[in-house]
Amino acid sequence: MKILVAIDDTDNIDSRGTGELADLLSKYLEEKGWGKGGALTRHQLLVHPDIPYTSHNSSMCFAAEIDASNLAAYIEYAGHFLEKESAEGSDPGLCVAAIEQITFPDELIAFGYRAKQVVLTKNNAYELAKRLDIHLSEHGGSGQGVIGALAGVALRLTANDGRFRGKLKVKSRDDLLSVGEIKKQTPVTVVKSLDDMLVLDEDSIILMGEKLKAVLLEGQCTLLVFPTGMNDPKWQSCTTSQLRKF
Amino acid sequence: MRHWILTKEGKYEFRQGKDAEKEAAQVAAQCPHFQPDEEEEQVADENCSCYNCRYRRWTQESFLCLKL
Repeated sequence: MKILVAIDDTDNIDSRGTGELADLLSKYLEEKGWGKGGALTRHQLLVHPDIPYTSHNSSMCFAAEIDASNLAAYIEYAGHFLEKESAEGSDPGLCVAAIEQITFPDELIAFGYRAKQVVLTKNNAYELAKRLDIHLSEHGGSGQGVIGALAGVALRLTANDGRFRGKLKVKSRDDLLSVGEIKKQTPVTVVKSLDDMLVLDEDSIILMGEKLKAVLLEGQCTLLVFPTGMNDPKWQSCTTSQLRKF
Repeated sequence: MRHWILTKEGKYEFRQGKDAEKEAAQVAAQCPHFQPDEEEEQVADENCSCYNCRYRRWTQESFLCLKL
């Protein structure tokens, strides 16, 4: 079965980030032979004085394949893992949802978008998770991270939110690569122009910048590019600051 | 301290907001506390920038420096 796993609020200002813990949780599935975890996405939530985030209020999520018989054990492991590995003073939350069993995905997605716009409560999150039969649990501190954890799953479910964790690694001559070659060398499945979301064909040549990051758009691992202003190469990979809004 | 506004809570908020890449890089270049945040939380093109620092806390308009 395919699941989404999200965690939030596991760090403090000096600790390792939530992304690193999510990565370990993703890899654990394969280590145990229970399934396979996928790439992590980072989802921005509301920045507001009434929300007690550490520094950025973002949530991390990954999709995974797991044998249904191992799901309960995995959830139990993930909860203990967060209790053990989360930083002092953090308020970790865990959300695990079996994608095909989410009864009202629109409601869940609406929660994710609301978490970007208004201050939500733990009660809001628990009520919705209960109604949709989604696992949601807290593992220390105030447990406030359940809001971001549920929102993380919701926003990943939109298939249109967030940046993938990590930089893409490519080998190229003169920093130039065709779209086809980028797709061969990386998890990227489509290359689009930032301005009008035009899909570039396989032969388009891209000038590869120093930091290559992919975003989640229409369910695809997407590399965004912008015009160089030249004829050859016509396109350049987006910079970190250009990807900030994703 | 010309880059900072003292908030009523006694914290220092970056005066130029979230879109002053050049100034944020200049301030970080002079700062003994700068430490890069996790890769996924970096948003500026310059590596050494307050926008990429683990000791910045984003606010609605800008960010607070947690070391000042």
